[in-house]
Amino acid sequence: MNKIFIIIQREYITRVTRPAFWIATLLAPIGFLVLMVASVLISTYDNESTTVAILDESGLFKEYFKQNGIADATDGSVHFYIEETSFNDLESIIKSPNEKKKYQAIIRIPQNYNLNNPGNPVISCLYAERIGLEKKQFIIGRLNDMVKKQRMIANQISAETQDLLQKKVDVAFESLMNLNEKKGYDIAASIVGLLMAMAIYISIFFYGTMIMKGVQEEKTSRIVEVLTSSVKPFQLLMGKIMGVGAVGMTQFVLWIFLIFLINIFVAPLLGITLANQTTTIHTASANDIDTDSAALLIQNLSQLPFTQIMILFPLYFLGGFLLYGSLFAAVGAAMGEDGDQQSLMLPVSVPIVISVFIAMNVMNNPDSAMGFWGSLIPFTSPVVMSALLPFHQPWWHITLSLLLLIAGFVFTTFIAAKIYRIGILMYGKKITFKEMIKWIIAKN
Amino acid sequence: MIQLALHNILKQYGSYLAADNVSFEIPSGKIFGLLGPNGAGKTTLIRMITRILYPDAGQILFAGQSLTDLHTQRIGYMPEERGLYKKMKVGEHLIYLARLKGLTKAQAIQRVEFWLNKFEIKEWRNKTIEELSKGMSQKIQFIATVIHEPELLILDEPFSGLDPINSLLIESEIRELSKQGKTIIFSTHRMEQVEEICSDIVLVNKGRKILEGSVSELKQRFKENKFEVKFSGELPPNLLSGFSVVEQQMNRVIVQSGEANHGNDLLKHFLNANVPVHSFQELLPSINEIFIKQVEAA
Repeated sequence: MNKIFIIIQREYITRVTRPAFWIATLLAPIGFLVLMVASVLISTYDNESTTVAILDESGLFKEYFKQNGIADATDGSVHFYIEETSFNDLESIIKSPNEKKKYQAIIRIPQNYNLNNPGNPVISCLYAERIGLEKKQFIIGRLNDMVKKQRMIANQISAETQDLLQKKVDVAFESLMNLNEKKGYDIAASIVGLLMAMAIYISIFFYGTMIMKGVQEEKTSRIVEVLTSSVKPFQLLMGKIMGVGAVGMTQFVLWIFLIFLINIFVAPLLGITLANQTTTIHTASANDIDTDSAALLIQNLSQLPFTQIMILFPLYFLGGFLLYGSLFAAVGAAMGEDGDQQSLMLPVSVPIVISVFIAMNVMNNPDSAMGFWGSLIPFTSPVVMSALLPFHQPWWHITLSLLLLIAGFVFTTFIAAKIYRIGILMYGKKITFKEMIKWIIAKN
Repeated sequence: MIQLALHNILKQYGSYLAADNVSFEIPSGKIFGLLGPNGAGKTTLIRMITRILYPDAGQILFAGQSLTDLHTQRIGYMPEERGLYKKMKVGEHLIYLARLKGLTKAQAIQRVEFWLNKFEIKEWRNKTIEELSKGMSQKIQFIATVIHEPELLILDEPFSGLDPINSLLIESEIRELSKQGKTIIFSTHRMEQVEEICSDIVLVNKGRKILEGSVSELKQRFKENKFEVKFSGELPPNLLSGFSVVEQQMNRVIVQSGEANHGNDLLKHFLNANVPVHSFQELLPSINEIFIKQVEAA
């Protein structure tokens, strides 16, 4: 045990005292800041606006246009003009080779358009420049409102009834099992869950690679022969994993601290906060812009089970790190001295990537079977369970998942130690999976 | 006392026998040569002694006790394929390796100080390993091997990469350690060094022990009864029966004698013939010759 501690100490101190560590630690939050600014800029980036001519050949909407007009998109991405010329004129306008065209698309309401059967014939939208998905959705929404309203007028429905019928349904999704899960909670939980899942995913790869490189360094520099004559390979393996783990923890704490500082002191100067950044992510994909979403999000963030998260997230972080750390070490030991044979990484990296896909899915379906099993299988549970934690998981589920994670960790370490023990002393030979399996089965 | 004893050691990799029923004993205080051509199984034997590998069968005794992991603290091992952490500083590195061998931090610091002073390389303490030349890092490696004052030292090609001055320095250290009663296993391909340094050897080939004994005894065992005589004047006309000239130059002759004959008879013959003799010696085979013959015969 004492020797493991000495190894941890060396792994930790040599890494933390390197300038590269501090450069990475300081640059990452700056990178985060750049990412924040970029994401806000990209999401609010004013795409060239699309100007659409509406040609009502049926004449059904004349009155409607006179009274209501048709509103442009609030972000200025789509403008509508009611045109009364002929279709051919419009067509020639938008087909003209002129760079700055008056219109990019025509909405043609056909002469025999039937309000009661809007599917036959249909309203067509003919474009010269492709219209993005969001704009399409917006245009459909506007036309839908227009047709609906006109249909009501045609059916002589009174103005009050029209207003009543136009009123939106609002559903408050609230959990019966957990009183804190109010409306909008799922969005807050998804965002926090995904952030945690991504944090584990990125750190497993980042620090896993660090372990792998460290093992390879010991193998290529041949110091491993001296080391293994003093300590057991298992101690060396554990010392390295825990040492790098401690480096990761240090870096994480520093990052959280720095990001906290940036969010408090620097971001307001740039007019960005984490909250409005996350709402842009959320609203970008939604059709209806919920102006209250930022406030709702912040309110819901405070309802997340933070105590549970604070205790469990580090445990899953650690579990995932230990489980994959030992596997990365085994890969490092089995790799050739020149560090080729990247294919050996495949069986280690595939489950991590899969777990991210499951975590993304879990955002939409927190109670899905995939999420349930994903949060139990030790290879995926660190990432998947982190995504699920904000959704108030029952204790038995968490306990079972943690126990399986511990078992998984013991199992992978056992396998990794066997591969590591032989791999580190194996020079000048390409190692195959078949051979590694032989090492795992072999006694000493 | 027997410092190290190997009894019927067997180690197999698949169908390949890296150690085939190998047994030998090393008395404490001896410098013991472990010899063999490349791939003979020397490294496998050493790795089993240092507990990097475990034998499939057989027993290793360390000072009379069955070898365990605890004994590795009493063994110092300098492998042929050497390596140190390139980015670490010399002082820190030595302290680290010393602590892994069971020294406390304070002890380690003290011993590092001692050895850096002894080798007059104090100014290297804060240099990183990558700044050192091959020979310099070899010295550091040697210090790392002996820093915990092990009872058994295993040195695999300790002179490779060293210039003559540093070779001499390490050699005198090895002798010094031997004088202090440490047992040393010395593995090398350079036979002249074996002859100079080792008192006993074991020769392995293809995983098997093919020869064992003290250097002087082996030379006697494999001698071919040849004598070299340097003289002036004429060679005595008729050699004694049982002796024949195998090589003759101006004033030097190599004479082969039969098993039963003694060199004294030959010398007497020269003296009786009034031939002035400048030197007379029995030609003993070098360890190198024994090595090559035995390996080829095997």
